[in-house]
Amino acid sequence: MTQEIEQPALAEAHVDDIAQRATEAGADYEIRLQSLSQWQLAWRKFKKHHLALVGLGILIALLLIAVLGPIVMPFEFDVIPRPDEIVYAGRPPSLAHPFGETGGLQRDVLLLVVNGARTSLFIGFSTMFIAVFFGTLVGSLAGYLGGVTDNVLMRIVDVMLSLPILFVILIASRFFGNGNVLLIALIFGLLSWMGISRLVRSLFLSIRELEFVEAARAVGVRDRRIIFRHILPNAFGPIVVAASLIVAATIIGEAFVSFLGFGVNPTSPTWGNVLSNALTFIPLGNWWWPFFPGFAIVLTVLAVNFIGDGMRDAFDPRSRL
Amino acid sequence: MTKYVVRRLIQAIPVVFGITVVVYGILLAAPGGPTAKFAQNPRFTEEQRARFMHAWGLDQPIPVQYCRWMGICNPDNEGLAVFLGPTGWPNFLPTGLSGADNGVVHGDFGYSIATGEAVMTRIARAALPTLILCGTAMVIWITLAILIGVIAAIRRYSLFDQGATIFAYVGYAMPTFWLGIMLIFIFSGPGLNILPAGGMTETRLSPPFGSPEYWVYFGQNPIQAIMDIGKHLILPVFTLVVVSIAADSRFVRSSMLDALSQDYVRTAKAKGLPGRVVTFKHALRNAMLPVVTNIGLEIPFLFTGALVTETIFSWPGIGRLTIDATRNFDYPVLMGVLLITSILVVLANLIADITYAIIDPRIKY
Repeated sequence: MTQEIEQPALAEAHVDDIAQRATEAGADYEIRLQSLSQWQLAWRKFKKHHLALVGLGILIALLLIAVLGPIVMPFEFDVIPRPDEIVYAGRPPSLAHPFGETGGLQRDVLLLVVNGARTSLFIGFSTMFIAVFFGTLVGSLAGYLGGVTDNVLMRIVDVMLSLPILFVILIASRFFGNGNVLLIALIFGLLSWMGISRLVRSLFLSIRELEFVEAARAVGVRDRRIIFRHILPNAFGPIVVAASLIVAATIIGEAFVSFLGFGVNPTSPTWGNVLSNALTFIPLGNWWWPFFPGFAIVLTVLAVNFIGDGMRDAFDPRSRL
Repeated sequence: MTKYVVRRLIQAIPVVFGITVVVYGILLAAPGGPTAKFAQNPRFTEEQRARFMHAWGLDQPIPVQYCRWMGICNPDNEGLAVFLGPTGWPNFLPTGLSGADNGVVHGDFGYSIATGEAVMTRIARAALPTLILCGTAMVIWITLAILIGVIAAIRRYSLFDQGATIFAYVGYAMPTFWLGIMLIFIFSGPGLNILPAGGMTETRLSPPFGSPEYWVYFGQNPIQAIMDIGKHLILPVFTLVVVSIAADSRFVRSSMLDALSQDYVRTAKAKGLPGRVVTFKHALRNAMLPVVTNIGLEIPFLFTGALVTETIFSWPGIGRLTIDATRNFDYPVLMGVLLITSILVVLANLIADITYAIIDPRIKY
């Protein structure tokens, strides 16, 4: 978020120059102008959005858990905690196992949730990157080139948007997924880019008519450079917001597909597949088993949506501080 | 107007054609194909496999297979005569003329590999429970969403509005299946156990829903039957309502806020009209325009929407049918469900656009 671009340095040099000349000319005041880059402006507005800051905090904590957690408490599929002591019902939360233990194999639910964080967040974010990449590619080609390209690409998008995507994801995961984390992420990514492409296309259609693009074209800037240097940076805000929605939708979608047993193999726990046997243990009163992984999903999606809201306001040029 | 409708219908044709190709392509690309379910069976010989492939026409070139699935080609003829049905009329004409009765254009969508029935028969049997579940849920959530959205907009920033916002955020983040599981634990777990955990009817009381015996039972004591279904509806409907109300109530709220800030509302207020009249006659009626369109777009939900909820509550609907078909590699059923859903989505888009054009006099086409 706080990444800086070269522009402010240039601008500041310019300001210093003016200030120096003003001093040389005998002016008895100092000019202290500070120009803010778009990023700094956006960050400043984002900070005003309290819920978004809370969301950011939660997400950073979850990412830390996803990165460090499995190192501290590694999950081994073959290791069954108490093979000699088979108790059908699980154990409720206790001091040693704050999230309780599952029925059947008596796994520690905390361990499952911590390890699930890595897989679920990985799938959520890699899907987002794949979807943003393809969506931006298709959308910018359609929006910038127009004509036949636009028509063909957008009819493809129409067709894909008419399909019930969750059904298709389910079927594709069953047929091609093999329970592999990378393949599942790829399937989700390749089936989630359509919304982004429509958004990018509409942004391109409006931005390409603006004066600075016309000016760039007039001085002979090539198409590729216009797309990447002039139009895309201005379309950044809405794309990032849409991307945050994809993360949230994917985490829920993956959990559902894995819950049904068509997604990721139980050898690598996700928040969805650790729930898959939980339903059968409900009559025994094992609420802690489904509760904690599901709560992790709710927390993540809430955090991501808050951040998305904050970014929408932050990148919206009409919203003032 | 007619011109607009016709133009939209013509534009929809390539999309529908594209959908059939994509649906066919997805399942064609699947590894193993329809014989995958026999892969684990050691007694399934190569010869049997070949016979199976031949019987289902899976040894034909892909365009021929697609053509036969669509019901345009006649499997009994050779050469150009494939387009002719048994009666000599083109094969794609209705069954009465062409005599052909197999394929998408004839409305049966092929035969289920798992049960051998026509796909449409299975889909039709599953569609009624889904319609009951989703229809009930949709009526409730749209009513509530409009109420909540309008009140939240009128009393902007009030306690009610903030409560509705929090509820929307949480409902939006709630995975349907998790909410379902938790509700099952609370209401049908060992503690309360007052509501059924799943299914559509009490199996000890009545024959399975949809069977001929069930309708006999239904005719004998309709009140008991309806009460029974109603009891099974409570939890899944509640789940659907909580999850869906979030987005819709936000939509109504922003639409209503938009209408309230219009010039004609200010004019009406300046004229000295009572607040109630301004809100309900000037603002609300205009705010409902996009809401009606949005409801139109949700129509396909009546057919498909409850994939997740149906699974959790073992509701015998389209969602269950799809998941069973996915598990059994029952390609024709999957293709049928995907195709019907997609066509419904295209139609709903069309209806939404046309309704909008009709009810909003500002739209010129």
